[in-house]
Amino acid sequence: MSTPGKPLYRSDKLLYYALLPFAAVVIAAFILLFAVLGYVSAPAIKKYGVRLLTTSQWAPNEANPARSVYGLLAPLFGTLVSSTIAVLLALPVTISVVLVIEEYAPERWREIIGSIIEVMAGLPTIVYGLWGLEVLAPLLQKHIYSPLHQLLGFIPLFSCRPVTGFNLATAGVLLAIMILPYMVAVARDAYRAIPFTYKEAALAIGATRYEYAKIMLGLAKPGIVAAALLGFGRAAGETVAVALVVGNVPLVSGCLFKPAYTISSLIANQFSMAPLYPYMMSVLFTGGLILLAIGMAANTVAVIMIARARKRLG
Amino acid sequence: METNTARGDNEALTRLRGIGIVGEASLKMLLLILMGLVVLDIVIQGVCCIYAHRGAGASQAQQSPRVVLSGSGSTFIYPEMKVWITRFEKENPSISIIYNPTGSGTGQSQLLKEKVVDFACSDPPLSHEQYEKYKGQVLQMPVIIGAVAIVYKIPGYNGPLNLSAKVIAEIYLGKIKYWDDPEIARLNPGAKLPHAVIKVIHRSDASGTTEVFTFFLHKAAPSLWPASLVGKAIEWPVDSTGRGLGAKGNQGVAEYFKRLGSAIAYVELGYALENKFPIAAIRNAAGRFVKPSPETMQAAVASALRSGVLPDSPLADWSNALNAIVYAPGEKAYPIVSFSFMMTWARYPAPKAAALKKFIEYINTVGQSEIVEGYAPIPQGLREINLKALSIIKGG
Amino acid sequence: MADPRIIKEKVFLVTIFVLTAVGVLPVFHVLAEVLVKGSEAIARHGIGILTSTSNGILASLVGSAILSILASLLGIPLAILAGLFVAEFSDTKIAKITRVVSQSLLEVPTVLLGMLVYIIMVVPMGGFSLLAGAVALALVMLPYVMVHVEQAIESVPPMYREAGYSIGMTRAEVLIGVAAGIARRGIATGVLMGFAKAMGETAPLLFTIGAARTTLPCSRPLPLANVLDPGDAVPLMIFQYAQMPQRLYHDMAWAGSLVLVLAFLIVFIAIRLLVKEVKM
Repeated sequence: MSTPGKPLYRSDKLLYYALLPFAAVVIAAFILLFAVLGYVSAPAIKKYGVRLLTTSQWAPNEANPARSVYGLLAPLFGTLVSSTIAVLLALPVTISVVLVIEEYAPERWREIIGSIIEVMAGLPTIVYGLWGLEVLAPLLQKHIYSPLHQLLGFIPLFSCRPVTGFNLATAGVLLAIMILPYMVAVARDAYRAIPFTYKEAALAIGATRYEYAKIMLGLAKPGIVAAALLGFGRAAGETVAVALVVGNVPLVSGCLFKPAYTISSLIANQFSMAPLYPYMMSVLFTGGLILLAIGMAANTVAVIMIARARKRLG
Repeated sequence: METNTARGDNEALTRLRGIGIVGEASLKMLLLILMGLVVLDIVIQGVCCIYAHRGAGASQAQQSPRVVLSGSGSTFIYPEMKVWITRFEKENPSISIIYNPTGSGTGQSQLLKEKVVDFACSDPPLSHEQYEKYKGQVLQMPVIIGAVAIVYKIPGYNGPLNLSAKVIAEIYLGKIKYWDDPEIARLNPGAKLPHAVIKVIHRSDASGTTEVFTFFLHKAAPSLWPASLVGKAIEWPVDSTGRGLGAKGNQGVAEYFKRLGSAIAYVELGYALENKFPIAAIRNAAGRFVKPSPETMQAAVASALRSGVLPDSPLADWSNALNAIVYAPGEKAYPIVSFSFMMTWARYPAPKAAALKKFIEYINTVGQSEIVEGYAPIPQGLREINLKALSIIKGG
Repeated sequence: MADPRIIKEKVFLVTIFVLTAVGVLPVFHVLAEVLVKGSEAIARHGIGILTSTSNGILASLVGSAILSILASLLGIPLAILAGLFVAEFSDTKIAKITRVVSQSLLEVPTVLLGMLVYIIMVVPMGGFSLLAGAVALALVMLPYVMVHVEQAIESVPPMYREAGYSIGMTRAEVLIGVAAGIARRGIATGVLMGFAKAMGETAPLLFTIGAARTTLPCSRPLPLANVLDPGDAVPLMIFQYAQMPQRLYHDMAWAGSLVLVLAFLIVFIAIRLLVKEVKM
């Protein structure tokens, strides 16, 4: 691999310093965000501390604001679970789509399928949310959740009766649909970049299509991981569409069919009245801060891991 | 060996030549696209401004100086506010009004704390503490009456339904489970109510609608519904039975309600009417079962006005207004009514003050006869109180 | 006796085709719904629903156009240049930090990004503006475009770079002349994704542009200065109108969705036609 490190020669240094300001702007914007989030969250953290993370109760007290109880446990749980479900659902589809577009579909279909996927990215998130509310949730409840509950109800995940389709599972499915185009775009780029020589070599040793795909995917792994991370982040940050289908009840439960909360839908639900309560706005911002911190931790680990994998692949 | 490297070099060179040219071309293309965007933006803005200033189609001929009033707040009042803004702008082409329905709480803070808007609309009035903080600087005017309707869906039954605060409270406490419960039957003799489970829909987001509804339950049935269960967002006892559902916004409640086979919900009247949901008749303080209508809504406010429990000036403390109009005395009064307040400062730069006063005057005179379905106009007495703002707001 | 390897292959092929179909199907349904409901709305109320400010959504359409362009102008160049930096100098600490930072930006609920811009722009300016909305959208789209650019540049096979170095090109020339050229499809996709985000996001606009629905942003004589005016956008309009009871507003929301989707399709086709594939 060509030297990805610091520039050595004068002309390269020019490039480095020419591009550096833009990266610096990105970092500066992030620091600003972190600072503002921290500043607004500080009162809540000071008052409630760790209690914010250990309770799901959301009980603002108007008569006696000092006695309000706010808990971020349920929304945090919901965000992590729904984003995980979304990525788990979207990843196999992403890989399938990439393989179909790049290898197995007839020539004309490739551009068509690829374009359809990219169009998915351009739909306003609110339209997805309305569609999820009117079409997806009832459909899933009738044809998937109820049968699952009846047949596999002994599994804790399906053990509660799905009263409506507005729950974590639906949020996960809707999010999976929404993050798919982004994941496909990233994974596809990674897959395309595999030089033809590798493909020739795999075919030359007589691999079946299945074995060939396994080899190619292994080579594209850093890109696929990047796609998964992108999808997870996107799912965690989605606000409007999730708020319409997740049920909006502060509940933590092992069952996927119960209504739940995510941090972003909590904010969407509560922000309109939050300024009237002394600490609520601060708590909502704390939720955002926690998400940011988790994201930073996860992405740092991922970046280090990907860099190591890249070095190995050369 | 040497020949190989030479050939390799040539190959690389040819490949690169092809791609290198392509590479520079794409960069140029990108720059072109970006410049094109800038030009496109200028064109769009230019065209739209020409269109606007011609006044064709758009309902304003804009001459400078033009005054822009910006407001934000209650989503509940938005349909009415939109009608008012459209009609007012038609009569007053030099004034533009924008209104961003982000919620009552953010409306209040955007007006009072961050000062990014000129007026705010809020369903709850300023709390007593807030009032004391801004005393003399902020005006509050109740400009419209709203009502919370109790809608019901009973499998196999299409007739009318009478409900009392006691019964509703017990449903939302989780104590009454079936439609054929004796408590419900007692209020509806002769009605064939089935033995079906009642799904109970409430709000998941903080809302003035919930506040009015829970306040009514507390005022009319205090032994069942304590003060701790009154507020914009509460913990609903019925949730622990698994029969409760939280929906986001009045629209969310309407959506859930449409999809369930057997349910009860509380929702702003406009949504019940638009979707033609069956609306229950609620027992008021005089013992009569009353359905919400402009007549019964006005009756409630008028009786509160008559008893003198409402303040008499925009500068007064309106924090107790809900207590005055909910479950108000009067044969015809509908017991679950609410106000939506318009809030302003007392001082503005001169042009804004003049424009704002014109708007307030319009709302409290002509505007009260242009009422959207689901709301009721305020009685004449209240209009006169609100119009006192015209002498309170000062410009300069 | 069937070869187990062949069986595995057949099962594999069926699986991936089915999964692809499952992934692609929903968007058809969504598009169909937008098409049907949007056309019904326009049929019911006439074209005036799109061209009027008092009874229609003209302000939302104009605002969306201006916002998308503005946000793209702010966000895309920044994202591309920062992405090039991260991809080219990926071993340096700053590049790694930038990568972590931009990807973490994704996980913040979009509504909070809007509130950030509210605090640092709207409040000091004393009012809502299209510019604030554009800045919020640029913040939201930044990670998407960056990830695409990084991914595209890093996927350029080393042999092309080495070929460039071997004939004496500098890093800058290799990056811009060779790598960017090969990666241009990926970069173009990144630009497209960024533009799509700018057109389709709702929450960042809630507290920044002001929902000015009955007036066009035209209070100043100089066209570009009008970005300081409050404005409106289609996704915000849809979000706020969908919550109102009256069917008229729901119709306007669907009509707006239809126009937005059509506009995106046009841009999409344009970019696809302009930027061609690079065969390796």
